[in-house]
Amino acid sequence: MEWLEPRGTPGAVSPPHAPPRNRMAVALLSLVGAFVAFYLLAANLGWTPPVPCGTGDCATVQSSKYAKVGPVPVSGIGLAGYVTLLALALAGLQGRLSRSRLIPLLLFGGALFGVLFSGYLTYLEAAVIKAWCRYCVASAIIITVVFAATLPELKRIRAGGGP
Amino acid sequence: MKSFYIMILGVLLIGGGVLYYAMRGGSPTLEPIDLGELDNTQLVELAQPAHVFGDPDAPVTIMEFADYQCGVCKQFAVMVKPEVEAAYINTGRAKLVLHDFPLIDLHRHAFLAARAARCAGDQDRYADYHDALFDTQLDWSEMQSATGHFKDLARRVELDTGTFDECLDSDRHAEVVSANMLYGRAFRVTGTPTLVMHRGGPPIYRLGGNRFLDIQEAMESDGTEN
Repeated sequence: MEWLEPRGTPGAVSPPHAPPRNRMAVALLSLVGAFVAFYLLAANLGWTPPVPCGTGDCATVQSSKYAKVGPVPVSGIGLAGYVTLLALALAGLQGRLSRSRLIPLLLFGGALFGVLFSGYLTYLEAAVIKAWCRYCVASAIIITVVFAATLPELKRIRAGGGP
Repeated sequence: MKSFYIMILGVLLIGGGVLYYAMRGGSPTLEPIDLGELDNTQLVELAQPAHVFGDPDAPVTIMEFADYQCGVCKQFAVMVKPEVEAAYINTGRAKLVLHDFPLIDLHRHAFLAARAARCAGDQDRYADYHDALFDTQLDWSEMQSATGHFKDLARRVELDTGTFDECLDSDRHAEVVSANMLYGRAFRVTGTPTLVMHRGGPPIYRLGGNRFLDIQEAMESDGTEN
């Protein structure tokens, strides 16, 4: 038997050990996002041949002054963010931790920060740098879906924990 | 949960495989290589110039020791070289022989830029790539890694990018660029651009400046000063 994500009225309680499917989705997508971010970081640091660009202009985006926050490449921030979300989502699937009050808050807050930061970077690509990096766009799409997948956490935050 | 962990494992395997595929290319040589002890004959033989602008048989040789990441070299290329070309190179009186002298302690991408230009030279497009490197100097100088930009430039200059990428991702031309650096030191070059002039043999002038006037003065001298 497979438990489904609780639906219906706020406060609906899922069976005691039901693994929240949205956290599985967050974990899987964050892992994909981490690979994309790692690739961009590796290219940025010269560990790998440069990012091939069939479309867009990755070199322009990667070399712009917006590609770093201080000394830290934006892709490094992205990687850290995805790894954090992955760890939180995996933790949120484990026994007692799955009922932690902190995990829903951190998952939703982290994804919200990620989607806002990514939105800002996408705005910079479109309006300021006027060049697109397809891997950055892919990352923006991934974090947006991750954010959507964390929306059920709002219900858990209101209910005071999860799942 | 079991199917979830299988999916995680699947993503790890696929992602790892894609990363391995993407990162499998060679790594470009970014720094000079040790050439060991060379005598003068060996050094001259190894230190082939990057490019000769003008008629190779022109009676006067103006050697320029240049660094693609040097701002003054860019100024020379953009402002002085056209005047020199008009006055002396296009008229067959002189040739401008470009030697690499990347200032590796100051400019982290200079050595790779010198190699990249020579990779373009392999496709007989050195001059076009030379211009493109200087045109975009401000863009790539601040990059963490300029390899991608240099490959993009190859595409913009319409080189055979597969051949260019393979060249850049190897150690090709690292030896000759390193030899050029030693050759420059033999002329007491410490900065760029440094101009040295001769008429096929001694005396050899090391020009005091890199303005057109300095070149004009040396060109019009009778060749007895040193």
